[in-house]
Amino acid sequence: MLLRLPLAIALFVAFLISLCSNSAQAADEKAGIEYFEKHIRPVLVSKCYECHSSSSKEPKGNLLLDTREGIRMGGDSGEAVVPGQLSDSVLLEAIRWEGLEMPPEEQLPPETIAKFEQWIKMGAQDPRDGKAALIRPEIDFEKARNFWAFRPIADPEPPTVDSKWPRTEIDRFVARKQAERDVAPVEEASAQTLARRIYFDLVGLPPTPDQLSEFERQAKQKSLALAVEQTVDALLASPHFGERWGRHWMDVVRYGESTGMERNATFPYAWRYRDWIIRSFNDDKPYDQFIKEQVAGDLLPYESPEQRREQLMATAFLAIGPKSLNETNDEAFLMDVVDEQIDVTSRAFIGLTASCARCHDHKFDPIPQKEYYSLAGIFRSTKTFYGTDASNGNRNPSRLLNIAADGTVSQIATKGTGKGSSAGAIQKQLKSERAKLKRYEAQLKKNPKAKNVSIQKKKSEARVKQLTRRIKDQQAQAVATKDGHQTMAVLDAASPDDTQLRIRGEANDKGDTVSRGFLTIGSVGHIPELDPSTSGRLTLAEWLTQSDNPLTARVAVNRIWQHLFGRGLVATVDNFGANGNRPTHPELLDWLASDFKANGWSVKHTIRRIMTSRVYRLGGERNSDAEAIDPANHLLWRVNHRRLEAESIRDAMLVVSGKLDAEPGDGSVVMAAGNGIIGRNLQPDRLATNDTKRSVYLPIVRGYVPEILKVFDFPEPSMIYGSRDVTTVATQALYMMNSEFVTAQAEAFADRVLGEDADSEKDRVDRAWQIALARLPSEDERNEALSFIEQTSASFETSESENDRLKKAWTSLAQSLFASAEFRYVE
Amino acid sequence: MFEITRRNALKSISCGFGYLAFAGLAHAAAEKDQQSSNPLLPKTPHFEPKAKRVIFLCMRGGPSHVDTFDYKPSLKKHAGKSPGDAAKGQNSQKGRKLLPSPWNFKPRGNSGLMVSDLYPHLAEHADDLCVINGAWTDIPNHPQALVQLHTGNFQFVRPSMGAWALYGLGTENQDLPGFITIKPPARLGGAQNYGAAFLPAVYQGTRVGGQGESLSKVQIGNIHNSNLPEDIQRKQIDFVQSLNRNLADRQPLNSQIDGVIESYELAFRMQSAVPQVMDTSSETLQTQKKYGIGKGQTDDFGRACLMARRFAESGVRFIELTHEGWDQHKALKSKLTSNCGATDQPIAALLSDLKERDMLKDTLIVWSGEFGRTPAVRNQDGRDHNATGYSMWMAGGGIKGGMNYGATDEFGISAVDNKFHVHDFHATTLHLLGLDHTKLTYRYAGRDFRLTDVYGKVPGDILS
Repeated sequence: MLLRLPLAIALFVAFLISLCSNSAQAADEKAGIEYFEKHIRPVLVSKCYECHSSSSKEPKGNLLLDTREGIRMGGDSGEAVVPGQLSDSVLLEAIRWEGLEMPPEEQLPPETIAKFEQWIKMGAQDPRDGKAALIRPEIDFEKARNFWAFRPIADPEPPTVDSKWPRTEIDRFVARKQAERDVAPVEEASAQTLARRIYFDLVGLPPTPDQLSEFERQAKQKSLALAVEQTVDALLASPHFGERWGRHWMDVVRYGESTGMERNATFPYAWRYRDWIIRSFNDDKPYDQFIKEQVAGDLLPYESPEQRREQLMATAFLAIGPKSLNETNDEAFLMDVVDEQIDVTSRAFIGLTASCARCHDHKFDPIPQKEYYSLAGIFRSTKTFYGTDASNGNRNPSRLLNIAADGTVSQIATKGTGKGSSAGAIQKQLKSERAKLKRYEAQLKKNPKAKNVSIQKKKSEARVKQLTRRIKDQQAQAVATKDGHQTMAVLDAASPDDTQLRIRGEANDKGDTVSRGFLTIGSVGHIPELDPSTSGRLTLAEWLTQSDNPLTARVAVNRIWQHLFGRGLVATVDNFGANGNRPTHPELLDWLASDFKANGWSVKHTIRRIMTSRVYRLGGERNSDAEAIDPANHLLWRVNHRRLEAESIRDAMLVVSGKLDAEPGDGSVVMAAGNGIIGRNLQPDRLATNDTKRSVYLPIVRGYVPEILKVFDFPEPSMIYGSRDVTTVATQALYMMNSEFVTAQAEAFADRVLGEDADSEKDRVDRAWQIALARLPSEDERNEALSFIEQTSASFETSESENDRLKKAWTSLAQSLFASAEFRYVE
Repeated sequence: MFEITRRNALKSISCGFGYLAFAGLAHAAAEKDQQSSNPLLPKTPHFEPKAKRVIFLCMRGGPSHVDTFDYKPSLKKHAGKSPGDAAKGQNSQKGRKLLPSPWNFKPRGNSGLMVSDLYPHLAEHADDLCVINGAWTDIPNHPQALVQLHTGNFQFVRPSMGAWALYGLGTENQDLPGFITIKPPARLGGAQNYGAAFLPAVYQGTRVGGQGESLSKVQIGNIHNSNLPEDIQRKQIDFVQSLNRNLADRQPLNSQIDGVIESYELAFRMQSAVPQVMDTSSETLQTQKKYGIGKGQTDDFGRACLMARRFAESGVRFIELTHEGWDQHKALKSKLTSNCGATDQPIAALLSDLKERDMLKDTLIVWSGEFGRTPAVRNQDGRDHNATGYSMWMAGGGIKGGMNYGATDEFGISAVDNKFHVHDFHATTLHLLGLDHTKLTYRYAGRDFRLTDVYGKVPGDILS
């Protein structure tokens, strides 16, 4: 247990005082103890000990009231009793029911509360010697390692199963579980269904009619297995793969192009990190390297300026989090940034909620508060460059890094947008500030004692200094931007150092210094040594990617599995701790993790492994036995129907309408809008865009997520969200029925179908179905569609030309296909 | 045996006008079907609620409490003097001189509740108001305080109060959004103030208009189709539904198709229901006049209040109205007069309308800013931010009227008696809605979150 320094001093002083006590003090002390015995102890015993003594089963709030040490030290909420200090004694707050309400059943009578006040005023004499029992028992890491997620990753032999069903090792694990519960898998899906599934899963786009028929041809002429393998390989090599899988990662790392929160300032260069993610997936960057670059890319060796630039950009991972720019307490601001960095690093890579240990030991997982501050020291020794301009009420501005063509890195100011940020405006402010300063100086000359004026003068001097710096910054920036790359990033701070534990997480309430290091629970085998002259981020990155780390590879393959099956083997993909779910197939998870590591941490390898299994190919038909035994399909006896993500719904409409601009994104609308505070000096309409590139390139400004994304459950970009919600609500229907975007795509789709050569209206209907739903319509559907077109075109005003009416009817049909449930579900 | 499941109910609709029958059937079926994919259906609260809905009148900027609802005669007596001990420990209070309120206070109603002359119409409802004089919040800055008022926490992104209410209770009328916010500010947290954060996105507030927009023109997004006449659109939806039913037959294990089918019927009904509810012109001229509609000063907030009443009547769970511009560092006399003038009559009309409809008893009305204003000033016609003590009021569902709860010190600087923190406001609001704030939790990142974090208490004294 930690004995906090101020308390230690206080106890020591008390000890000294007691040594030189004179008789008057002794008398006071005696009176105080009598008072305690008469009025306080009986209440403590009868009202408090049940939950707050060494004999209580589980002391509440880590507070013990049965010794002097315990009552003085207090629990989670603070020092319970501070002699002589009514306002600092949390016990009083609690029994007055201000904040805490103790005892919870019934408030103590006012006269009893008054007695406690009197006792504390008198010095809170308390004869109860003895050590407060160990309130927070040391974590028994040996025992904690028995928990499944902390055990070493095994490399189990795939089981032998007596069945022809399994194709791959994965299937053998799945089949055994099914056999154990006596559940039989359903048939494989049709080639058509499978093609659509594979395309959406890998590139987030529907197959074109040509791609579809090629797949069907291969499946028929050669084999379904071959068709799957070849298509998977082709799509893994497509640049659209990174756009799809990169977006999955962007959910996890709370990608956003503004600070969010109370002063929402744009990040004009966040997109560089987005593009880095997409490139990394397309290049199949080994996942361990992928982690290292994001956590410590600035510290990695490099061979070329390009590599330097690439690695530095990756560290925007640590810089793009939400920030409270209006925070006035510098220490609190820094500790919040650090907290956010710990949160994203621990949840994204190892599925642990380490930031729960900011204020106290983790309540559920073996993470002591001390170890949180070991990590905090690493991030406190790191300088974060998120690039927000100092104007317009931003109390916590930050620079960007500029990487010149030769790889030289320099810090540059962020150029603000709008009023008050232009060079001219700053010059003007500087001029008037200097005039003010002169006035104050003159006033002080006359009356040197005018306190108010001297305060004003000091403030004015600071402002002049700040404005002068901003002008210099802007000039430097103008030079730098000519050939440089501006990026959000992190660097090691000038003098890396350990930080102190913060008592109850209060930024300014510092306890003992904690040396930098990692989480004991994730440390297995050889632990890399941290060089204290650096921040330690590089070593942290090594620790995260060590082959022995029990979590990293498991968390990674589980995320991949989720995107292909709709649910992770561990359903809580961001939480592998005690409060998370247990794996449905623990051996399979370990096998996948080992296989992943053994194959160079290749994401594409693991995706291919999974997609070539038989279980991936299953269809969705009924099976009443299986439904009865395993209605939730944990045993994977059928496919899980999945709603497409918002991005795929939009992208699919663009593909079908023929309007998709398939080129990669070129920066971001946010870069064009510049750095400003939204609603203050940057109007939200500047963030709108009509471009028809893939949705991953839409601007993700916190609080201003594009409508189509928001409507279809896009996760809040300030939150780490490895697994999206799926809801079905009327606003989605309204969007499909009435929005400008859907209407425009429907019109374009109608034009496309009407513009193609066709022998008959029936052929057009067939074509529309193939383009939109990757299948032909049934006989009934075809007839219904034909009569819908006929009736609809007849119901429009006869004053319109027949062509116009036909076009409108077709637009309406096209929109119906977009709106259909089938369009947005994958089987 | 024939069982009404939602799927059967949906199958029974084959023609366009079936949606009328559908409403009843779907509802009956929905009650049976606990696995419903519509997360907005009404849910059972923790205990019998006193209020079925909330209308939150957010006075953005921080209205001056000592000029409206916190009567401080000592300010007059000590005018121009330093607040002395009352401001102890508050650096920001240094060098300030006490400024008495330029407005008179009078006892109102049978209760004798003190309300200043700024709120003459509202004062007629004094016996319904519970004025909370001991309100306080953590930070005297707009951005943090406004976000804390809405989400309880300015340090992290957390769900808003309305989102929590919707998550806990669902909503009565599926044809309307369950959480509506009228003209919320774009900055100072912006959408975070009505956002869902880690709660499912369906619980976020629906915005009606924005700052500076005229309410006579605004509409909810995508509620209208500008290309298709209604009858043709109905045919289109019937066609979509037919495709959807085919799919449901082909994919019997895809439980979500029913939800999609239902969502189109709801959407179609919303198209007429929402504009109808928002159309305040269908009210009698007399009613419109009562709210001050048509009169320059009160027109916009009058519309907002009348719209709020109509939303409340139609079963919307949480309605928030923002009135901007209460940040009177300067021009206190003229600006506070015009702010109160703009809100007084509309709020009074809202209260009396709800009462006439016997709805005040189960509608909670809250009036609050993000903090109050300093009783001691540097500028003789302006007050600065005061977070340590301010006033808000609650009325209606489950609230005792005609009373003051809590108090500030003799000048109104700090809450000293029955302090009522923003967390307590949240706890109380949830309590009135039948929700225990310690039990309404959502698991995110491995732990259960609450609107009130580990704080919040419900003062029994103000409950009726």
